[in-house]
Amino acid sequence: MIDSAERVVPETLDALSEAMRGCHARGEALTFVGGGTDLGLGYPPERVDRVISTQQLARVVDYAPDDMTVTVEAGVTLAALQAAVAQRGQRLALDPPRPERTTIGGLLATNGYGPRRARYGTLRDLVLGASLVRADGERVRGGGKVVKNVAGFDVPKLLVGSLGSLGCIASATFRLHPLPEMERTVVMRCASAASVRALCVALTEAQLEPSAVVAFGVDGEFDVAILFEGFASGVDQQATACATRARALGIAPSDGAGDATWRARHDAARTRGDVRVKATFRTAAFAEVDRGALAPLQRTLRDAALVVYPTAGVAFCCGDAADAEAVLAALAAARNCAELAGGTLVAIDAPGDVRQRFDVYGTTPGALPLMREIKARFDPDRRCNAGRFVGHL
Amino acid sequence: MTTLPDTERELQGRFAAIVGARHAIVEPAELRTYESDGLAGFRVRPRIVVLPSTTDEVAAVVRLARSLQLPIVPRGAGTGLSGGALPIAGGIVVGLARMNRILDVDVAEQRMRVQPGVINLDISRRIAGLGYYYAPDPSSQSVCTIGGNIAENSGGAHCLKYGFTVNHVVAVTLVTPDGEVVSIGSPVADPVGYDLLSVVVGSEGMLGIVTEAVVRILRKPEATRTFFATFPSTDEAGATVSAIVARGIVPAAVEMMDRLAIEAIVAATGVDWPLDAGAALLMDVDGPLAEVEHTAAIATDLARACGAIEVRTPRDEQERALMWTGRKSAFAAVGRISPNYYVADGVIPRSSIGAVLREIAELGARAGLRVANVFHAGDGNLHPLVLYDARVAGEEERAEHVSGEILRICIKYGGSITGEHGVGADKAAYMGELFGDGDLETMNYVRCAFDPGRAFNPNKVFPTPRLCGDRPGTYVAHPTEIAGEAGRG
Repeated sequence: MIDSAERVVPETLDALSEAMRGCHARGEALTFVGGGTDLGLGYPPERVDRVISTQQLARVVDYAPDDMTVTVEAGVTLAALQAAVAQRGQRLALDPPRPERTTIGGLLATNGYGPRRARYGTLRDLVLGASLVRADGERVRGGGKVVKNVAGFDVPKLLVGSLGSLGCIASATFRLHPLPEMERTVVMRCASAASVRALCVALTEAQLEPSAVVAFGVDGEFDVAILFEGFASGVDQQATACATRARALGIAPSDGAGDATWRARHDAARTRGDVRVKATFRTAAFAEVDRGALAPLQRTLRDAALVVYPTAGVAFCCGDAADAEAVLAALAAARNCAELAGGTLVAIDAPGDVRQRFDVYGTTPGALPLMREIKARFDPDRRCNAGRFVGHL
Repeated sequence: MTTLPDTERELQGRFAAIVGARHAIVEPAELRTYESDGLAGFRVRPRIVVLPSTTDEVAAVVRLARSLQLPIVPRGAGTGLSGGALPIAGGIVVGLARMNRILDVDVAEQRMRVQPGVINLDISRRIAGLGYYYAPDPSSQSVCTIGGNIAENSGGAHCLKYGFTVNHVVAVTLVTPDGEVVSIGSPVADPVGYDLLSVVVGSEGMLGIVTEAVVRILRKPEATRTFFATFPSTDEAGATVSAIVARGIVPAAVEMMDRLAIEAIVAATGVDWPLDAGAALLMDVDGPLAEVEHTAAIATDLARACGAIEVRTPRDEQERALMWTGRKSAFAAVGRISPNYYVADGVIPRSSIGAVLREIAELGARAGLRVANVFHAGDGNLHPLVLYDARVAGEEERAEHVSGEILRICIKYGGSITGEHGVGADKAAYMGELFGDGDLETMNYVRCAFDPGRAFNPNKVFPTPRLCGDRPGTYVAHPTEIAGEAGRG
């Protein structure tokens, strides 16, 4: 459906508003595309007359290094943003896969993130302001350009993860962080999910502050990468303390030789295959969720990879659907297990035959009636990504 | 006992049937307590105050109030500085003070479930022995409640590194304006659907009543290093902050006080800060020991290089606590050097601090008023305190004017009219200068999604009350608009 619709590629924010006003007048249904890395997310849109691409909206609007804020248009790729601010020793503390393709607008719409979520949170913790072209074509803004601001409702945060269902995100302002003087990753093999969890608890108890903890599932065991960043003296201290704590748990840490490889392994794991699933859970329930959800799913998918952020309670399992029936059974069991652990299981992507029989979002949130009201106010004619978001909004 | 009209007795009886007679208040003398919040200049007597003790009672109270068409104002501890809990004449105030229990502490998940009337500092106190704490630390943290913190998205000195209430509340139970009980957010990562929590936090009592909250609790950092430095003027102090940040250091907190603020704090608390300094900085860095030793040393060097007169480090935890007590008591302390003062809460880009302070000083001088400045320098959140004497004819009006002009300066420099106190009743008039019509209309979408009948805090935050369903561009004054009824003093 998306492929057959006419593509509109506005070159300025004004042109974007203009195009959307026209669509509004003609009653056309829209979907929005940035880098196209997560088009599988959500239900298939009910109707699409036009696809609006933010590809040409690729300007860095305002960079204030002394204030550590940056404002960019929605089509700026994460890599381009990072390159612009790295010159002044700064970064957006967000590290999802495929930064050279994924755009700021797309990241906001899908709530994209990577391992550094452990320390820096998600986009809702980093976005200061945003402009939105509403369904009626009017460009409005919320939030601001300063790091502290409580004037009015925080509409920019409401846009995070809204999957283009409230309009087209046109630009956004972020708070930046300093690039660390040094980073070091301690790598180790843990015999089980329980062992990974015990390690995480020990790191917290030891008052260590890793920027990321990533566990790769390997036949029931886990390769764990723990990233420390900051000034050299602090990084040295933390890496040493981390290794000591691991040894006390009977885990043998590396000397840091694996530094360069974990990142590529992470990105490849999160982007492979035609079935990609995200599970969330109480962090203390990691072992149960691994046993009841993640390990069986990994076994069922072909060429599957399992990546876990154990301190955040998030796991990604990605692979190919070799046997649709078996995959459906494994997905249903995994969702049940994740929900019992207080979380959710969302199919980020799946082939059509799986989607038809497996609801990509799962149990409907209790606040869905309020979400419907939000949608009805922003997009009363249901023209923006109609039916694609949670509850077929 | 005063004689009340039968209608008031009957009203009291209907709410008393839900919460008990003691907790449905209509006696004028008792209502007086609730006439204002921390913005004491605004006073309105509500028709009734109700103090429920459970979520079900809150829901029943809301449904009854709606059926009686009473406008509703939720209230926490009443410490807010923007009039968010200012009652509405003829309306109901729902006070959450009785819902003050900590319901669950889950250290394994770093979560804590609390009722809205729990005092901010009591959250940290409960878990201090376990080595954990709750990060947002408004200066009023020993008296303000988490429900009020959620309504205002409260900040505090340590928000520079750790973020605000919105970054630390992960789930709430909300009684909606329809009297429904809804769960919003999740203690677990990434609940599906719109992030409604991000608008409920900071909604200033317009989207319903939070009756339970799950907050994130953090492991205490291994070490904290604090320094207190004095400077000839705010210029050198501001340059120090910029230099520290430019070196890639994210302090846990950097607070600046100018000469007048120092004078007030010394008078009120007896700290031995030098009265001849033009400005002082109080800074915390925290984290792993080796890191904070390193960053504290760099920061100290930078302060000296930027012209510090003196750099002090506390000898022990007690002395450090005293330094912070000095800072956190600044607002109240100004009462020692002036009979009255306005507290402003503007935000500017950090790099504009010097220029903005000069404009504020000129503004004060032109009006013949003193302005004390105490603020969160790291994130550009100013708290200019405009000093005046209400007994001197015309001073109050001049002070009010200066406060308003300070907000306009903040807008001019690309900042905001409030960093942590909220818009409330106080600054609604400036929202139209900060945002365009379309921006405000979009915020109104959010409000109307939750409260199409505009029963909750109907006269707050937005400059031109607008009914839900209005066509864009047509403004209709809401019948309950009470701008003319709110009195001063």
